[in-house]
Amino acid sequence: MPPGVAEEGTRNMDALAIREDSLGAGLVAGQNSLQLIAFSIGEQTYGVEITTVREIRAWNGATPLPNSRDYVRGVINLRGTIVPVFDLRARFGEGRTSPTKNHVVVVMSVGEKWVGILVDAVSDILTVSRDDIHAVPDGNAVDTELLTGIITHDSRMVGLIDLHAVVLGAPTDA
Amino acid sequence: MSELDEFKATYFDECSELLLELEEQFAAIQSGERTPDRLNAVFRAIHSIKGGAGAFGFSALVGFAHAFETLLDHVRDGRIEMSVEVTGLCIRANDIVADFVTAARNNETLPEHFGAEEKLRFDALCAGENVADLEGELMEEFDLDFTPVRVVLKGDTEPVYEEPDADRFETLPFQAMAGHWTVGFKPHPALYARAGDPLLLFRELASLGDTHVRAMLSPMPVLAEFDAIGSYCAWEITLSSPTVTEAAIREVFEFVEGDCDLTVTELATTQPTALPTEALAPAARAADHGTTLASQSSALSDLVPPAELTQKIDPAPALPKSPVAAAPELARPSPVTEQTPAEDKPSEHKATGVQSIRVDLDKVDRVVNMVGELVITQSMLTQQMDETLRAKYQELVRGLEVLAQTTRGLQDSVMSIRAQPVKSVFSRMPRLVRELAGKTGKKIRLETVGENTEIDKTIIEQLSDPLTHMIRNSADHGIESPAKRSAAGKNETGVIRLSADQAGGNILIVVEDDGAGINRERVLSVARERGVVAPDQQLTDEQIDQLIFAPGFSTADAVSDISGRGVGMDVVLSNIKKIGGSVHVRSITGRGTRMTLRLPLTLAVLDVMLVKVSATPYVIPLSSIVETIQCSRADFGRVPSGGKVLRVRGEYVEVIDLAERFALPNEADTTNRFVVLCETDGSTKVALIVDDIIGQQQVVIKSLEENFERIEGIAGATILGDGHVALIVDVQGLKSMVTHRTAA
Repeated sequence: MPPGVAEEGTRNMDALAIREDSLGAGLVAGQNSLQLIAFSIGEQTYGVEITTVREIRAWNGATPLPNSRDYVRGVINLRGTIVPVFDLRARFGEGRTSPTKNHVVVVMSVGEKWVGILVDAVSDILTVSRDDIHAVPDGNAVDTELLTGIITHDSRMVGLIDLHAVVLGAPTDA
Repeated sequence: MSELDEFKATYFDECSELLLELEEQFAAIQSGERTPDRLNAVFRAIHSIKGGAGAFGFSALVGFAHAFETLLDHVRDGRIEMSVEVTGLCIRANDIVADFVTAARNNETLPEHFGAEEKLRFDALCAGENVADLEGELMEEFDLDFTPVRVVLKGDTEPVYEEPDADRFETLPFQAMAGHWTVGFKPHPALYARAGDPLLLFRELASLGDTHVRAMLSPMPVLAEFDAIGSYCAWEITLSSPTVTEAAIREVFEFVEGDCDLTVTELATTQPTALPTEALAPAARAADHGTTLASQSSALSDLVPPAELTQKIDPAPALPKSPVAAAPELARPSPVTEQTPAEDKPSEHKATGVQSIRVDLDKVDRVVNMVGELVITQSMLTQQMDETLRAKYQELVRGLEVLAQTTRGLQDSVMSIRAQPVKSVFSRMPRLVRELAGKTGKKIRLETVGENTEIDKTIIEQLSDPLTHMIRNSADHGIESPAKRSAAGKNETGVIRLSADQAGGNILIVVEDDGAGINRERVLSVARERGVVAPDQQLTDEQIDQLIFAPGFSTADAVSDISGRGVGMDVVLSNIKKIGGSVHVRSITGRGTRMTLRLPLTLAVLDVMLVKVSATPYVIPLSSIVETIQCSRADFGRVPSGGKVLRVRGEYVEVIDLAERFALPNEADTTNRFVVLCETDGSTKVALIVDDIIGQQQVVIKSLEENFERIEGIAGATILGDGHVALIVDVQGLKSMVTHRTAA
């Protein structure tokens, strides 16, 4: 087992703890609610639907892939399966992340595939109402392409990530 | 899955095997080997298919198979000559049976008159035979297939089967009189394995005289120790007949000789009733326990003429002797030297029938995967051993070495379970060629070589489509029409040769034809037309030949049933690449085309060399590596394009710097780097430059495409002992990347 197992373990526990807290909130919110895992890149918070998240693990390096787009950090070994890791910051065109052991890879399932995205930190689990999802304002193509919507939570803006776009829809010579 | 479905599945599995065998037998018959053995094999196979079909109610198949069988029977009896036409009809009929089976398997209904034409021809051939004869045959069939074996013994005595009650058996009295024989019969498991049936033997015995059969159930173990295919029950039969001889009794058991312990004893007139039981006891008891005594007594029965044996085993002259005392005497007259041939006998029997079991492929795969992980763990453990540990824990080192050896052996064994002869794919091809010849009006003969070459089952499964496409291509584009062939001074019949051979860690499958060869002008003009090749670009002959694998490429003038839609050869390439193989095509105008598939022996585990390129681990399949050279000692030259070439043993080889090709930062000192000389396919070599060579190990191939996408120049990924991922270099792919670049 690679180092960082302990760290990964605690992070998983953290995630579970948060999940339990917010379960109650979820019940209150009812059918129309949506649970998000919120993570940060720099100052900005983004979220993905919790049901797509498979695992959260600490950054422990990745094997770079030759001739690939700059936001593809490489592949990692997830219990015997090869999973690609995407650098979300680089995907947003803000340059590649210089990852440390404190950075986090969120492993998610997109369709049939499992992918990891590299983010700065996982911050919270949010329960929001679907009615609160705002459309992404037309303007920057990158925003409309990569986000499915914007949610305000505790007066913070949370961008909803379009996983398909992040993983698949990218122009190949970016 | 219901029980019936399971039986059905087994039946279809068997059908596939039988159909393969039929194809083989007919091929031999067609080539002139019209031996009775072959005819009998064909007959048996059709009969088995028919029998099963009857059981599952596939009436159309039964009807056709029966007609076919009748024809075969006539041929077997010499009433119909196995002429070329009849052989042809039989082969056609074989295809129809295959279609019936496929339809039944897929729950499809075939047109009502499917095969009716052939059936009529069977009837026409068989006509002239009188009706009664045919009816007799029918009756015979019914007797064989459908009449259950009834437990009826001849004579006025009803069969007496004792209840499985040991106590009753011990105390049961019976009368012994003149002309009475006691037969002790203890089957070995092998008897049942060979489908022997004691009942049939007892019936046969009953035809000699009045019989009284008793089962000896005392050696029956408790249920927990009970082996379902073991043999526990022994029988004691008393036979009363004034005329019967020992030889006649033994003759009944002739076919199971060696598969049972048999004693034949004549009873004296005035024996006390209890004696026969006792008399038999030593032999029977010994046999039950499988002691040496048993083997010796059976050895005796093999060696010593019956009369002698009877004297020795007959307790009458030696009445006062206890059974135990009699036993050593039995052993004595059988010297060691004489025992040897007797011991050989059973093993001979074993050699004739290859024992096999059907195992769900999933189960095998599970074992394969686990062994794969075991191999990784083992190599991880070995990697963890540094010099200090080695010096300190020598026992551990030794243990690890043994572990490595055992793991390797285990892996080889598991792989050999998955390995299958390519025959299963090859044997589908004769039919294809027949059909293609029929459709195109060409005369084509298929030759197959090396069908027994074994290759991983998964690869075999992936082989069927590419081979079909390649053979179609050869038949449609390669082989010319008979008129053209004779005009070119060739034999009217074109030959497609399909061969398989093992070469190192690879299997080579070659499809060759003696046709016109690839029409390069035409290929090139079509390629230019479709924009596959730039108008001003010059290509070598070899490069033009490879163009036939480009997607959507077809030179056929008209889209035919067979080929010309432009899918096909690119499917070959992509399928073969998917399983880690490569395709190479060579063609000589007017002489023919040869397509070579190079396939890995197994998919699961790969022997690799671990290298480092700008601090990232990569692995190169060992099977493609020719040698490694230190850069400082290598003889490099420059070519005008700015690239490098390597001179090695008088040959110039293209150099690919992996760091450069993979766009990785180049940090290492150039003099300390290494050249890995690789072979892409049979002939082409390429020299890869890497920063460092770390070592050799076995890895399990993991797919990159499962969660990501294909990367050019990378064949897949693997997980190293430390849990990190290393990429597998696709040597062949790197080479074609070059072609691609110059082409672009």
